[in-house]
Amino acid sequence: MQRLLRSMITSLPALVLAAPVFAQAADEVHETSAGLPQLDPSSFPSQIFWLAVSFLLLFWLFRTKALPRVGEVLESRQDRIAADLDRATKLREEAEAALVRYQKVVADAQAKASGQIAATRERLIAENTARQAELDADLAAKVEAAEQRIQAARDAALAELHSVAVEVAQAATQRLIGREVPRAAAEAALAAVTKEAA
Amino acid sequence: MADPLHQFVINPLVPINVAGLDLSFTQSSLWMMISVGAAYGLVMLGTRHAALIPGRLQSVVELAYEFIAGLIKDNAGREGMRYFPAIFTLFMFILFGNMLGLVPMAFTFTSHIIVTFAMAITVFVLITALGFAIHGAHFAHFFVPAGAPKAMIPLLVPIEIISYCVRPISLSVRLFVNMMAGHMMLKVFAGFVTALGVFGFAPLAVTVALLGFEVVVAFLQAYIFTVLTCIYLHDAIHMH
Repeated sequence: MQRLLRSMITSLPALVLAAPVFAQAADEVHETSAGLPQLDPSSFPSQIFWLAVSFLLLFWLFRTKALPRVGEVLESRQDRIAADLDRATKLREEAEAALVRYQKVVADAQAKASGQIAATRERLIAENTARQAELDADLAAKVEAAEQRIQAARDAALAELHSVAVEVAQAATQRLIGREVPRAAAEAALAAVTKEAA
Repeated sequence: MADPLHQFVINPLVPINVAGLDLSFTQSSLWMMISVGAAYGLVMLGTRHAALIPGRLQSVVELAYEFIAGLIKDNAGREGMRYFPAIFTLFMFILFGNMLGLVPMAFTFTSHIIVTFAMAITVFVLITALGFAIHGAHFAHFFVPAGAPKAMIPLLVPIEIISYCVRPISLSVRLFVNMMAGHMMLKVFAGFVTALGVFGFAPLAVTVALLGFEVVVAFLQAYIFTVLTCIYLHDAIHMH
């Protein structure tokens, strides 16, 4: 109704101009028309029959042929999108797994490397210690040997000194009293003197 | 000037008479068949390639498909999708009838009350039958408004029944009147173009504008008919 009114208003100038023609046309309609053709029942059976035929034909065509095709297209697109999404998800999961694997490899390598470093360091320390100990022992042995040699030398020297002292005492006694003192007596006298001195 | 009602006269093309019944193939029948062919042709042509990324024609077809599917889901619920082919056919048939009727020299079969009424009463009868088939005798409770006071029921039920039974009439008259009025207006103003001579440009402009309006109306009326069918379907399936 509103649409009718609006078009009437927009066409007002034309209507004014056409007023005489319109009036004539209206008269003509009155004279010639026997009412709305839509209300003529003689055409009803044909219209209903052909409506039923064409509608059912279109329904059958759509239902059996056209709509399954459209549905298939839409469904295949839906499937494709879903499959693509699935694949993307799978790829992401794989990438995540690869990242985890990579991190594990790196961590393993680091652990192994630090283990090796620690082992090497320990080995070196142990080697050093061993070498040090060996060296110490060697040195100690050498010191010992030197000390023994010194001791022996001293002992020898002392022993020599003893016999020299005995001989000196024998010789001195001969010179002083002209009498040869036996070696044993000289040794005893020396021992007594050393004992006294000590 | 031509009679603006003359365009609605039914002209038989092939006279057919079956048992005294005039079933002639008329120009109305011809345009029904053309609509069937055009609607079917559009859908088949649109899905010819079944491309993943649709072309223009395929987009039109998919749009129509999803438009009607959405209409049914929104108005009648998911259960209504069982009747998708019928409702899609209804929409396409009316839409093509309306649209092709706007082609000059064409005949608009939806401008006849008997056609629109036959469609509306069929929809009405089938949907009412569906209501009783789903809910049995309980469907009669549809005519008792929920929460109405007991004393009002004798008054309300007849009103509900009348308003229910008026549905096919309003459904068919709305479509028929819109189509008839639009075509009459077009005819009247087109008649002025030649009658006014030099000043004919004014009614010509109006005719062009009216034709644009009529395209909208042609779509809108097909849509309204379909939407109301879906709403009636909803009533039959869900009752309220």
